[in-house]
Amino acid sequence: MGDPTRRMIFEKLRDRPLAVVHIAEGLQVSRPAVSQHLKVLREAKLISINQQGTKNIYQINQEGILAMRNYLDKFWDTALAAFKLAAEQTEKENE
Amino acid sequence: MNNVEIATIKKEVIVEASQATAFKVFSEKMDLWWPRTHHIGKAPMTEMVVEPGLNGRWYTRHEDGSEADIGYVLNWDPNSFLGLAWQINGEFQFDPELMTEVEVNFIADGPKRTTVKFEHRNLDRLGTGGKTFESMDEGWGMIIDLYKNIAGQAATL
Repeated sequence: MGDPTRRMIFEKLRDRPLAVVHIAEGLQVSRPAVSQHLKVLREAKLISINQQGTKNIYQINQEGILAMRNYLDKFWDTALAAFKLAAEQTEKENE
Repeated sequence: MNNVEIATIKKEVIVEASQATAFKVFSEKMDLWWPRTHHIGKAPMTEMVVEPGLNGRWYTRHEDGSEADIGYVLNWDPNSFLGLAWQINGEFQFDPELMTEVEVNFIADGPKRTTVKFEHRNLDRLGTGGKTFESMDEGWGMIIDLYKNIAGQAATL
């Protein structure tokens, strides 16, 4: 997500799901450019489309985010347990 | 869960050590405890480094002499608070534009007892790892293998 516009779009969608017309509001880029950014974000699985009638509503990809979160959650459990051991061992050595 | 809850991991660990020891081991001595299997370098990891002080680099060193960035120090308040920028995305690549925050509070409960409150925030910015996501049903082990293959790395971070 090196592109500042793409980042702005993503941050907008973090607040709430939006249609393209509302995503483009306030952005200094053309509608096709917005669509291109949305495509990149979709390919990165950062966002997904929810079809409501004829409208495409873009939203944060919650399922994907949860998966990533769960992975890191487990990782930090392991890491923090190792940290606790190391800190307590260091404390003993200092005595 | 709402977006904010999904985007934040919170943990609490009680450590039988002084606040100063807890802070030092978490920061300067991270190498003592960081799982050696978890890095994004191209060769086996030899050392984890957190450079002390504001804006200090956070990175790993590897057998082939290379280094792999993780992020940098956002807050350095010995011995009570450490803030680190985690800039590894869902594809397990370093992204200097990415900002997720690891925040660690060290609360002294006694001379040799510290409560460590840990948060990793704004995880929704990490993304989910493109191709890997389709294999979610295969379980985490499968995904970790995919991560390895995709980047051609021995990393399992």
